[in-house]
Amino acid sequence: MTLPASGHVVAVVDDDPGILRSLASLLESADYRVRLFASGAALLDSSCLAEIDVLVSDIDMPGVDGFELLRQLHAARPDLPVVLITGYPETIKRLPAQQAGNPRVFTKPFRGSELLAAISEAVRPVP
Amino acid sequence: MPTSYAVAPEEQHFFPSAVSPGPAQKRLALGVVLGLLVVFVLITAGLLSGIRTQRIEAFLPAYLASMFVCDSMTAILLFVQFSILRARATLVIASAYLFTALILAPYALAFPGVFAPAGVIGGLQTAAWLYVLWHCGFPLFVIAYAASKDRAPTTRFARRTTLRAITQSIVLTMALVLIATFIATVDEASLPHIMLDPLRFGPQWPLLVGAPIASAAIAALTALWLKRRSALDLWLMVVMVLYLIEIPLSYYPAPMRFSGGWYVVRIFGFLSSSLVLIVLLYEIQTLYARLLGAVLAQRREREARLMTGDAVAASIAHEMRQPLTAMVTTADAGLRFLERQTPNLERAKLAFANIVSDGHRAGAVIATIRANFKTDVRERTSLRVNELIEEAMALVDSELQKHRILLQSESDQQLPPVSGNRVQLQQVLVNLVMNAIEAMAAKDEPRILSVKCAAHADDRVTVDVADTGTGIRAADVEQIFNPLFTTKSNGMGMGLSICRAIIEAHEGQLWFTPNSPQGAVFHITLHASRPPPTAG
Repeated sequence: MTLPASGHVVAVVDDDPGILRSLASLLESADYRVRLFASGAALLDSSCLAEIDVLVSDIDMPGVDGFELLRQLHAARPDLPVVLITGYPETIKRLPAQQAGNPRVFTKPFRGSELLAAISEAVRPVP
Repeated sequence: MPTSYAVAPEEQHFFPSAVSPGPAQKRLALGVVLGLLVVFVLITAGLLSGIRTQRIEAFLPAYLASMFVCDSMTAILLFVQFSILRARATLVIASAYLFTALILAPYALAFPGVFAPAGVIGGLQTAAWLYVLWHCGFPLFVIAYAASKDRAPTTRFARRTTLRAITQSIVLTMALVLIATFIATVDEASLPHIMLDPLRFGPQWPLLVGAPIASAAIAALTALWLKRRSALDLWLMVVMVLYLIEIPLSYYPAPMRFSGGWYVVRIFGFLSSSLVLIVLLYEIQTLYARLLGAVLAQRREREARLMTGDAVAASIAHEMRQPLTAMVTTADAGLRFLERQTPNLERAKLAFANIVSDGHRAGAVIATIRANFKTDVRERTSLRVNELIEEAMALVDSELQKHRILLQSESDQQLPPVSGNRVQLQQVLVNLVMNAIEAMAAKDEPRILSVKCAAHADDRVTVDVADTGTGIRAADVEQIFNPLFTTKSNGMGMGLSICRAIIEAHEGQLWFTPNSPQGAVFHITLHASRPPPTAG
């Protein structure tokens, strides 16, 4: 049941502290190393951009939203696997068609096991 | 209380016979009277003395036909009004116009030269006497109308008897016209002579024609003045003034038919016949437009309320989704910690604690929403504007996020409380902010919503809601507070007229100015609530 301990680094961006805390808990239960950011700008300003293996980001945020974050990250990390979460199912339609990495999008509230499966798939190198 | 009185009071406000005339209408009536007096003075001063007029064959038939049409249409409209209002006075005045319409028939038949050189019925005096009876009869009807105006509502007709009442009135009026015709034709020989020949009035004309008509018109004018209340009363008074002016004009500049004065009298007569009809038609159109406006405004108000409801519902959904997601995700994590080969009890315990706190957070959201909506709509309390703004912003927070709008808020720390209705004022703020969001969503960034509140020395508290949206087009500036107006295709965030109504109900003001360099600023002024007088 438990996924093998990976030790991969997952960055989580969400403006809601409750969501951030719960995602940290979920990811730690799967033995990921977690970096939490309350905004897209905070992640972009951080020094740990290079060490991130997967990004989990909310879409609807004030300032830099999820799509903008992906756009800005693309220069630094074009190959970074991304999982998006949103409170508004309709925002998925705004997802740019040529989005790098073809990110999976989860609607809140999501199943923890499905989110973990998506992350685990993202970090595993494609054979 | 008899059941016959079943007219809703509001219903009466839609008829000229029931609505009181506005100042503009009073001024217009006064203007008409003054204008007619000027014409009268000019004519008596000799304006027409130099003009030689002659008999125009087509004039009388055309004049009589148009008079008949006007009077009968007025009568029909008033009978219809009676069938709705069922007030006796309306029935009387409707009969008055029926009387003037019907009496035109024998008048036309008797007038020399209209159908036959010497008239079809009666003799030399018949048309003149019919004119006297017509012009005395109408003021008498008006007096009866004024007298029946103040009857208690209990004298209203029952719905089922209105048709009978109308029929009776028509029959009675026809009988009166027949009697008048009988007197003027059969008794013609015994009547005093007004006409010397088919053209010239006799020396007794002022006494036998002028005096009775003048007395009746003055009496009617007095009766109307004493009971004046409605727009119909006002215009009937103007008609009575016209009747009075007609008398000397008939005798001036020459006491004969087809003189300049005689033609002017016919024109005045036509004016007095059509005046009430014009007013009735105008009022009906205006009231219809107003009614339509009210219906549309009501519909839009309801829609606006629904839209606000939608925004609130979407906001509640978002507010609840967040803690719910946190709880589910944390529970997932907790289960995973327990399912490990060596369960991590510490982390599972922490997960449970987090679930509890997220649950309480969700509960707090519900409590806030409930607190916002359970207030009595009429209830006014002392409110802190800062709190109001915070609560309103919490409701639209998800919309701000969705459209990536930056919120800047500024506030005086020393704001005095204002007196008002929490829910209503919040509705105004939510509406203004939703409008701002919509105006900004339509254009590129920067999207900045700025909400400022400030206290002023004269006990005023102002709230300014500024956006960097599309702004308000110059052509729309005059209309945006009009309940019939919208620039929106989907109707979202409407109700500026309601917002203004709410603010004005709080003795405040709501207006807007253009924002620099783009967008609009809506300004709200409210009054600081005065502290209650201290006892002792």
